[in-house]
Amino acid sequence: MLSDIGILGMNRRNADFTITRNPRKYYPLVDNKITTKELLESHGLPAPVLYFQIRHIFELKLLREITRLREFVIKPARGAAGRGILPIVDRVENKWKTSKGDLLTQEYVEYHISNILAGLYSLGGVDDDAFIEYYVRSHPVFNPISYHGVPDIRIILYMGIPVMAMLRLPTLKSGGKANLHQGAIGAGVSMQEGITLKGVYLGKLVDRHPDTGNSISGIRIPFWKTILEISAKTFNIFKLGYMGVDFVIDVLLGPLILELNARPGLNIQLANRDGLLTRLRGIDELMKSRCPEKLSPDERLEIFREMIKKIEGQYF
Amino acid sequence: MNRKVYISSAFLIVLTIGLITAKIIHGGQSVYPESGVGLWRVSFIMDITGTGSRAKVRLTLPRDTEGQIIYNENFESAEMVFYTRERAQTGNRIGFWRSELLDGSKSINYTFSVKSKGLTFTIPTYLSRSKDPLKSYPQELHSWLDPSKYIQSENVSIERYLSKIIKKEKSISVIVRKIFDFVRGEVKYQSEKGSKDAKTTLEKLVADCGGQARLFVAFSRAAGIPSRLVGGLILDHGVKKTTHVWAENYIGNKWIPFDVVNNHYASIPANYLILYRGDYVLLKYVGLSRFDYFISIGRERIPPVDQPWSLYALPIHFQNLVHVLLLLPIGAVVVAFFRVIVGIPTFGTFAPILLALAFREISLVPGIICVIVIVGLGWLLRSLLDYLKILIIPRLSIIVTMVIMMVLGIILVGLNMGHRQLLYITLFPIVIITWLIERFSVLQIEDGTLVAAQTAFGTTVVAIAAYYLMKVAFLKNYLFAFPELLLSFIAILLLLGRYNGIRITELWRFYKLQKILRKK
Repeated sequence: MLSDIGILGMNRRNADFTITRNPRKYYPLVDNKITTKELLESHGLPAPVLYFQIRHIFELKLLREITRLREFVIKPARGAAGRGILPIVDRVENKWKTSKGDLLTQEYVEYHISNILAGLYSLGGVDDDAFIEYYVRSHPVFNPISYHGVPDIRIILYMGIPVMAMLRLPTLKSGGKANLHQGAIGAGVSMQEGITLKGVYLGKLVDRHPDTGNSISGIRIPFWKTILEISAKTFNIFKLGYMGVDFVIDVLLGPLILELNARPGLNIQLANRDGLLTRLRGIDELMKSRCPEKLSPDERLEIFREMIKKIEGQYF
Repeated sequence: MNRKVYISSAFLIVLTIGLITAKIIHGGQSVYPESGVGLWRVSFIMDITGTGSRAKVRLTLPRDTEGQIIYNENFESAEMVFYTRERAQTGNRIGFWRSELLDGSKSINYTFSVKSKGLTFTIPTYLSRSKDPLKSYPQELHSWLDPSKYIQSENVSIERYLSKIIKKEKSISVIVRKIFDFVRGEVKYQSEKGSKDAKTTLEKLVADCGGQARLFVAFSRAAGIPSRLVGGLILDHGVKKTTHVWAENYIGNKWIPFDVVNNHYASIPANYLILYRGDYVLLKYVGLSRFDYFISIGRERIPPVDQPWSLYALPIHFQNLVHVLLLLPIGAVVVAFFRVIVGIPTFGTFAPILLALAFREISLVPGIICVIVIVGLGWLLRSLLDYLKILIIPRLSIIVTMVIMMVLGIILVGLNMGHRQLLYITLFPIVIITWLIERFSVLQIEDGTLVAAQTAFGTTVVAIAAYYLMKVAFLKNYLFAFPELLLSFIAILLLLGRYNGIRITELWRFYKLQKILRKK
């Protein structure tokens, strides 16, 4: 049995974790990125700054009023798997320059946003809102192991306690996106120190980045402690017992929460060469008599350290 | 949580068993064979061949009478339209198979079970012959008094013979006895191709059952007694083509049977099955180049259900609809099993079920080929739409229209290249195909061609599995007899819904991880 050696399967994730621990009514908080961002801001947690939203076609004129702003990202609020994201890095005469170097006319950008509003990129094709936010420039420590795009760090939280993490690295195949299904690399991360381990690429175990050829292991993720502290605070806001939090590390602002996920995938186990279930059971044991809602973020991190001592201690 | 689910499933299974038991004990529905006498299973099997023209086959279907109960009717239409009509005057029930275009050979059949018993009547002796039968009998019996094409009751020689036979006799019971004895005594039996009419039978004094019965009816009518032919089948083990004809006279507000040939006077044996009344033919057809039929008769083991709340009480063509409805839960359980236990990805829950139903209509291999062709072409065209950046609702509408265009194209190709079975492609679930194309394209863009192809393959595999399970006859029959079994289906699905074990495909997905972890 795979569960005996701690591997979490899709059925158990659904039956025992997402359905049981994530009340449906809290899903909208993480499915809409604008709602997520507003909630994070109101609780003083860092996220890329929201410049403004576009909810109706007539608000497209806000875009024409931009005079100083040179760098920003246009995103759909309910976009799935990184679709519909348009990163703008400069203005050349009358045209917008994208991070890939294409020059787009004002009309094209407005057409793109009207598509977002009509739901072209949203889950299920429902009407959507567009928003314009701060353009994240990735921390240079990741430069040798990422190909275009911004790497992000996925932390799995169980009852607000960090369980497992991975660094997701864009590749040529993923087209700059940090989504494992689309061909990004997932590198495991040691929870104690935030140092990357080996990784997984398209379901295969790998040690090196396929595009740059550099080793993906042994990189110390900056601000690791801060990342753990911030993620432990998210549980009180979003109340999802089993969720994934995606961080990016901006070169100027440090760690920022990009989005949250109520159904995080299982490939993180391959990236870490370790099963989730061992850790989740470890937490269950430590939590036994305590009510997860009443714990403070510090107490959660305390449990986290005990759990890690138990789990990682026996391997390293 | 799990406890509650187990308790609910157990409750549902107990409920199923309880309801079925109650139905068996109180509802007269049996799952066990009965050593019953007079239970028969009859199949009319017709092989028809057409050459591309409009075709129609007509068969009179039996119905419940005093002596017989018809149940478990079933028909195979082989993609022809099937419907039934009732004739007001005779009370006959007629089934029609119709095809706008019949090309090649087909087998259609109609099967039913019958519980029949013998009846014996006594003819009241006090009734006397009516002087003016048209006045003394009500309007609806007049057609059984008037002469007809093959029953020439007003023919001079028939009337002359009648007065010789009955002389001055007035009592109906005596008259009928004399007519019966005359026909039985004077007319020799000889099997022949095409029965004689009443007049010729009297001239030749040699006839089969049809001629003899017609003569009996003609004499009875001439004597002022409403009389008619009855067509039917003598039930006996084996395969046969011959049907039987006898007569019925209306005496004392009752139709009383007389079979001259086999000497059944005012009685009908248990193995006589009534198919129609009147001078009628069992089978008729138009637009066929060849027609052949046989009747297969065997013993039935399960007695009829005298339960108005059973699905068997439904009219036969609705029963077929219900059969299709009952296939859906079977498909749903198959999909749930493959998704949860095996872990095969599919495009949603309904796509495999509806594909399996479509495969049932146009058979497996052509069905799969059509799906591949349509989804493949649709995906190419859908990619074009993606390039044009079309919004989702108009995009889906365009894909529906394109699917219809492809279906029309396949029909025209089939018509002109001589593959007429391709015409049945219109039975394909067009909406599901449209949705498959959309989901395939989205998945291909978001997760890559490999994942999309895997999911498409998974959908087909699950649909094939559902198709084969839907074909299992005993499952189909038991579900129809006991739709309470659906409660157990819910119980199974509840258990699947709380199954948190590893999916079989995950063994492969986590294979390397598993090896690493076992080493530690």
